[in-house]
Amino acid sequence: MLLKELTEAFGPTGFEDEIRAVVRRELDAMGLSVRTDVLGNVIASTGEHHPGPRVMLDAHMDEVGLMVTHIGEGRDEAGLLRFRPLGGVDPRVLVSKPVYVGERRLPGVIGAKPVHLQEPGEREKPIPLEKLYIDIGARDADDARRHVKPGDPVVFATAYEELPRRMAKAKSFDDRVGCYILLEAIRRWKTPLPVFAAFTVQEEIGLRGAHAAAYQIQPDIAIALEGTVAHDVVDTPSHGQSTVVGRGPAITVQDGQTVADRRFAEFLWETAKARNIPVQWRRVKGGTNDFGAIHRVGKGVVGGAISVPVRYIHAPTQLVSLDDVQHAIDLVIAVLDEIAKGGFRP
Amino acid sequence: MNDWVMRLMDWVAPSGSEAPVVQALLDEVRPAADEVFVDALGNGIARKRGEGPHLMLAAHVDEPGLMVIDVDDRGYLRVVSVGEVHARECVGRQILFTNGIAGVVHADLSQQGELGVDALIIDVGARSREEAERMVPIGTAGAIALPPFSWDGKVLTGRALDNRLGCAVAARAFRALADRGLNTSVAFTAQNAVGARAAQAAAFQLEPRYAIVIDGVTADDVLKDRPVVALGRGPVLTVMDRATVVPLEAKRAVEQAAERLGLSLQYEVSREALGDTGAIQLSRAGCVAVGLGYPVRRAGAFAMTADVSDAEALFQLVLAAAEALMA
Amino acid sequence: MSKYAGVFKQLLEAHGGPGFEEDVRNLILPHLSEYASEIWSDAVGNLIGLIPGNGEGRRPRVLVSAHIDEIALVVTRIESGGFLRLAQAGGFDPRTLVGQEVVVHTEGGRLFGVIGAKPPHLTPAAERSKAAKLEDLYVDLALPEDEVRARVRVGDRVTLRRSPLELLNGRIAGKSVDNRASAAVLLEALALLKGMVHEADLYAVFTVQEEVGLRGARTAGFGLVPDIAIAVDVTFGAFPGQAPDESFPLEGGVAISFGPNLHRRVFRRLVDCAERHRIPYQIELSQRPVGADANAFQIAGPGLAAALIGPPIRYMHTSVETVAYDDIWQCARLLAHYVAEVDAAQVEELTCY
Repeated sequence: MLLKELTEAFGPTGFEDEIRAVVRRELDAMGLSVRTDVLGNVIASTGEHHPGPRVMLDAHMDEVGLMVTHIGEGRDEAGLLRFRPLGGVDPRVLVSKPVYVGERRLPGVIGAKPVHLQEPGEREKPIPLEKLYIDIGARDADDARRHVKPGDPVVFATAYEELPRRMAKAKSFDDRVGCYILLEAIRRWKTPLPVFAAFTVQEEIGLRGAHAAAYQIQPDIAIALEGTVAHDVVDTPSHGQSTVVGRGPAITVQDGQTVADRRFAEFLWETAKARNIPVQWRRVKGGTNDFGAIHRVGKGVVGGAISVPVRYIHAPTQLVSLDDVQHAIDLVIAVLDEIAKGGFRP
Repeated sequence: MNDWVMRLMDWVAPSGSEAPVVQALLDEVRPAADEVFVDALGNGIARKRGEGPHLMLAAHVDEPGLMVIDVDDRGYLRVVSVGEVHARECVGRQILFTNGIAGVVHADLSQQGELGVDALIIDVGARSREEAERMVPIGTAGAIALPPFSWDGKVLTGRALDNRLGCAVAARAFRALADRGLNTSVAFTAQNAVGARAAQAAAFQLEPRYAIVIDGVTADDVLKDRPVVALGRGPVLTVMDRATVVPLEAKRAVEQAAERLGLSLQYEVSREALGDTGAIQLSRAGCVAVGLGYPVRRAGAFAMTADVSDAEALFQLVLAAAEALMA
Repeated sequence: MSKYAGVFKQLLEAHGGPGFEEDVRNLILPHLSEYASEIWSDAVGNLIGLIPGNGEGRRPRVLVSAHIDEIALVVTRIESGGFLRLAQAGGFDPRTLVGQEVVVHTEGGRLFGVIGAKPPHLTPAAERSKAAKLEDLYVDLALPEDEVRARVRVGDRVTLRRSPLELLNGRIAGKSVDNRASAAVLLEALALLKGMVHEADLYAVFTVQEEVGLRGARTAGFGLVPDIAIAVDVTFGAFPGQAPDESFPLEGGVAISFGPNLHRRVFRRLVDCAERHRIPYQIELSQRPVGADANAFQIAGPGLAAALIGPPIRYMHTSVETVAYDDIWQCARLLAHYVAEVDAAQVEELTCY
């Protein structure tokens, strides 16, 4: 089950080794030309020398996580680990969650002072990062040091599970769902067209891998494949939801770093409609994805994003609709098809 | 120039919706250029090869605005801002969309606290969701309507004056430099108001040695007794903004050019302004870029006033500074 | 040892904020000329020296950088009475500026100034408990208003005025230790490297405009496209009240940075190199792109293998930044040995993940 393997793979931003190995294994099995660049991006290509616009499909491999920064000493902090976020983690979601420390996956839990012992004023506020620790069960600092060192990355210990009605839960659908869509699309894609599949690093700390990858590829068209915010939940009016789970992949009109190329956004929309693939607009201005970096590289790049709605993005347990995922794969294939037929000229 | 600037101001062109204005500007410079084209990000570019090192002129075309992001069942629209727009300056005003549809901006003013753009509700007279979506599809941009007006032909006011006035100056300067056989180009840049996003791509393609970026500079002569930048006191040299510090070489060239022309020069130091100069300066391995402007009085994102004599002086200064830099 | 301790003190007295690094550049130029076969400045003002390596064919290309700009202020307004208002060009804590002597750089020359401080006698109790804000501070030039208006223009730059102080144990305090300490590191390293055989072509780059957004590093990284780009920049010296992972003792040796945007193999080589040559070092963790030239290097052009090392300093972004010269020396040793050891195989392995 590839989506399970991808979401459970270890790969916080800057530490993408394990997820990269999974991605490479899949690409190698397809017989594509695959290389890794100096930042750790994996770039596969097909039809590179075929005429037609150079199309870059992007999905980032990294996920949000934590980094161990200090091993506690003394009576109170003995063997407890201090940490800081790697990427945008809201400290409010951390307390009482299990984690894996290091790529050997040492189990730990994030704990805090019991509610009974907290002052009334303290209870009203989120627990600050400085008061949270990862507990790996170590007896003291020396014991902890045998297993962990400062700088070790940490991920949420969330298992992938499929739920009724075509829903699934896992960590890191942002953006392993994009990796999955890209792998499945490129596996099915057979028509000759210069297509570059870029599996990038360090999106979560500023779209860094995509920046370098786009410069190397110099695409004419680029599409970021990603999981995006869905907040279609109680007490949220339509204009605050961003996207709705189950209504198909979302297309951006504007986000934190892009104003959509209207012609391309409509091309995506019309392509989906023509093939009866459900689509929706991504109705939010905040947030961004790798296309925010890609479109500004070099002489500028036309394109956009195809986004799968994800509830509770950046939290330990995220939810997606597997139908949305399938529709996103279908849409990517349809879009490549149209481009190959000359249906969109950059 | 005034009539032309006022016509340029008629187009509603928030970041990402610049195409018609860009075309109008390219039509204006085409006769003087070897080639003109629009790039992937919507920049309009004209190139004229000639004598000396390559000097690029740039002026952003876009303006701040609002963009439709959601339509409710009754046919009312919700918007997000394009660039920096305060919700309270929109309430009770007319909004004009790029496709010519007009609407009125509502908000519940009895609500306490800071009014956000997400609190704005726009009525375009539609009777249903379907009708509203047909009239103004999601993603359509608009701006608060404020028809251009001229006092005695000397002072202009209106929406998007910043930077259509600058575009007019840049177009004229390009033609003048091209007529003199100099090696030059002009980029009418897109997407400045959302964070100077497109100018770097223009410079990447043009690879200039020097660049002069023409933009409106906020005047403080309404709220301050002793303003630093005031209308009618001449062009403005940007010493520093959020993305650039002027290179001394360029600053001296501009100051000497101003002195030769007998023009008084004003100086801008701003931690808020974000012109295209920095993006152009840092394109590829870098170039020498300087920002020159004309004072603009702003009452929010839409209502602007400028003195045409400043723009006339700026035009002279751009030519003289360009020749000084290229020499 | 410490060939450049004297030059370091000259560097601390030189004035050069973002965009006006000329004086610092001119001070470094003759020293760089001793080692570089070619020297040039790029369009934004980075000073670049090429020290060619030995050997035929394609040699590894290593860039080492130290930014030479210092945090500065810019005149935004001349008030009645001739007092000057200021904006930041870099990140001062305004509380450290009260009562500070400064230099105002005008077209006609430098002027003395002091940032005014209200006497305690006139300060109401409520005001004393409040932090100073930059908008409320002003420079007093001790000149009549008309003379101020004749000599100063909006946009003129302002830098701190401070002669370096020698403290105990070879520790030196002054302004702009951030990052002239690293300029001294580069010069010391070049001197050491002269006695070594190195395969790599070395680009020693004194970058500009770091303090306002790593701007010089962007154009230098793009223009030179080295295989490896190492930024040398100062980090936080240990001081009470700082988190343990943000505190590096003076004389604790070179801080070598580790984190997502730095190349892990270059980091590992730097640590190995320090171990083998018994160079004291400490590891600095980052979770985000670092606030130094290495950040820009990583995503310059096609992407570069970036690294960051540097000496710890106390009181960063004040006029009494304090460094131990021994840390500068140890950084130089590490840099020289590392560069001397870079070979083609190490460049090959940078893309092996």
